[in-house]
Amino acid sequence: MTLIDDLRSAGLTGRGGAAFSTAVKVAAAYDNGAALIVNACDGELGAAKDAFVVAAHLGELVEGARLVTRGSGRIRYAAHRGSDTETRLIAAGLDVLDVPSRYVSSEETAVISLATKGLARPMTKRAPFVGGGRDSRGRRIPPTVVLNAETVWRIAQIAAYGPDWFRAQGTPAEPGPRLVTIGGAVPRPGVLETAAGMPLTTLLAAAGGMPSGAGYLWVGGLGGVLMPAADVPRLRWSSADLAAYGGSVGPGVIDVLDPRECPVEYVDRMLTYAAGESAGQCGPCMFGLPAIAADWHDLAAVRPGNRATVESRLTQRLALVPGRGACRFPDGVARFAASAHRQLSDHLAAHAEGHCPTSPTHAGPTHAGPTYPGPTYAGPTYSNSPVTPVAESTSRSSRVV
Amino acid sequence: MSNETLWYLSRATGLASITLLTLVVILGLLTSGRRRPFGERATIVMGLHRWVSLGMVAFLTTHIVTAIVETYVSIDWISLVIPFTSAYSPLWVGLGTLAFDVLVAVMVTSYWRHRMTERAWTAVHWLGYLMWPMAIAHGVALGTADQPLLRGTTLLCGAAGALALAWRLTTSYADRDRRRDILAGGWS
Amino acid sequence: MSSDQRRPSRRRAPVSAGAPRIGVDRVACSGHGICAQTLADVVGLDEWGYPIVADRPVEAKDADLAVKLCPARALYLRP
Repeated sequence: MTLIDDLRSAGLTGRGGAAFSTAVKVAAAYDNGAALIVNACDGELGAAKDAFVVAAHLGELVEGARLVTRGSGRIRYAAHRGSDTETRLIAAGLDVLDVPSRYVSSEETAVISLATKGLARPMTKRAPFVGGGRDSRGRRIPPTVVLNAETVWRIAQIAAYGPDWFRAQGTPAEPGPRLVTIGGAVPRPGVLETAAGMPLTTLLAAAGGMPSGAGYLWVGGLGGVLMPAADVPRLRWSSADLAAYGGSVGPGVIDVLDPRECPVEYVDRMLTYAAGESAGQCGPCMFGLPAIAADWHDLAAVRPGNRATVESRLTQRLALVPGRGACRFPDGVARFAASAHRQLSDHLAAHAEGHCPTSPTHAGPTHAGPTYPGPTYAGPTYSNSPVTPVAESTSRSSRVV
Repeated sequence: MSNETLWYLSRATGLASITLLTLVVILGLLTSGRRRPFGERATIVMGLHRWVSLGMVAFLTTHIVTAIVETYVSIDWISLVIPFTSAYSPLWVGLGTLAFDVLVAVMVTSYWRHRMTERAWTAVHWLGYLMWPMAIAHGVALGTADQPLLRGTTLLCGAAGALALAWRLTTSYADRDRRRDILAGGWS
Repeated sequence: MSSDQRRPSRRRAPVSAGAPRIGVDRVACSGHGICAQTLADVVGLDEWGYPIVADRPVEAKDADLAVKLCPARALYLRP
């Protein structure tokens, strides 16, 4: 059996969030003699699993990378500038790609662009860059494949233990072990080793459980969805169960929203952050995301008033953005905003009546929100992530199997 | 055709060429300097930019051929492509030759635009900014001084183009501004 | 929604077999809006002037003209 056969029968999919078949990707990398970039950026908000893989399984990670390039071809490890992961990779003497700490900079094509002496911004992907290609200005991009760090680690595991070992965990639709980062308002935030099909209650219990009065879970970061904490007992950690909320297991991030904080205001901060993270390359993203954030900011005000116009404008804008960027960042943000809009409709209605269900004294968002991007828009720039990184040491994880 | 007819034809087509070239340049500046996506204007401007440039070639070809064939002044065929080789007014005829060479490059690259990288196309197209003043200088210097209409038209073209250029340098539109602002945020 | 928003028309002109579809390089597109004129059947514009493309085939010769007239060279054909 070749590695490709093993990966195919194991059913390994990309753990970065897109869940594309790893066998197909590696086969294409073989065919094209592609260079490999191991993406250890933990680019999604709240994610820490790549950091865990580098800290705890570096040997297997390096072995997995060697298998993908079959011992020849350049291997680079992408990590966010200044991160512990980057320090560890450099200390191990590996070839490190220093990625700026911007949300979209760790996106697949952005990493390729940076690795080929371009800026760390996504590129239009007319065909997968594993076969080589050009950016929009015509710059030549040699064949390059990007695999998430957890994915590469799984490749090494499958090569060592076989596809049957892999398939014995998870569900038939989402086989194999997978990492989940749980953060937010839980006593023991951190990385969990688990698999699809695990009851959500069990996962959350491993992180110390949800605080009493918890209202919402945020699953999948900026490209993810909100879901009511009340639904947790009947849900499993699987894309099938999360589909009801418009979500998927994606990059494996669960954030428990603090019940003491107004969820509308929390979403407001996240959307304003997202609006500032557009790479400024695609019109619908660089104007659409600030417009969506501005609409949400209007809705978030705790003040009596008719919000019907803003409501319908937001709904229309959310439908306009997906599929109209070089990368999937606008799709993800629109998915998150649409989900929040659905889940928090009662809360938003209360704000429009002049009170906040979270706290009677809450007067609405205190920050200015994004400036509406009119024809002469010159928006604020946000460079720092509003999400505090998971505090737990990343070299340990809890096993939940 | 008499030599005199050729001479008049050359001057007339030269004047038509510089006028059309200026129009093409202004239409190009309008296209690159504004974004008013709603309405037909942008489409008309872009269509004219392309097709007036093709129409201009007919006049320019006549202008060049007649200027070489007629014998009042001595210009050889070599001056069609190699600048500053003319016996008559080598500098000013040479500028015309140089402008013609650049024009050929601009038109050829635009015809094959989809076969080359956008960067290469842009680099050549930007040479248009050099070509047009050369053509104007050529026209002003050689346009017959005792005919105010001829020289006046060329000077008017120069003024109109300069005005359009000044507008292009000072105008702004949301797409470019937003890209520039975000780019300044640091992406490497 | 602002009144200047244009969506692709619902009209559906019959097209030849094997006719291409229109793709937009979103990084290259700077919002001239010309494709909404040249391909009014399948291209509309959002409120910022960027194309909204219907996933329908267009006549090859219309598509070719639109590709040529895009000043940003952002349009391309896909099968």
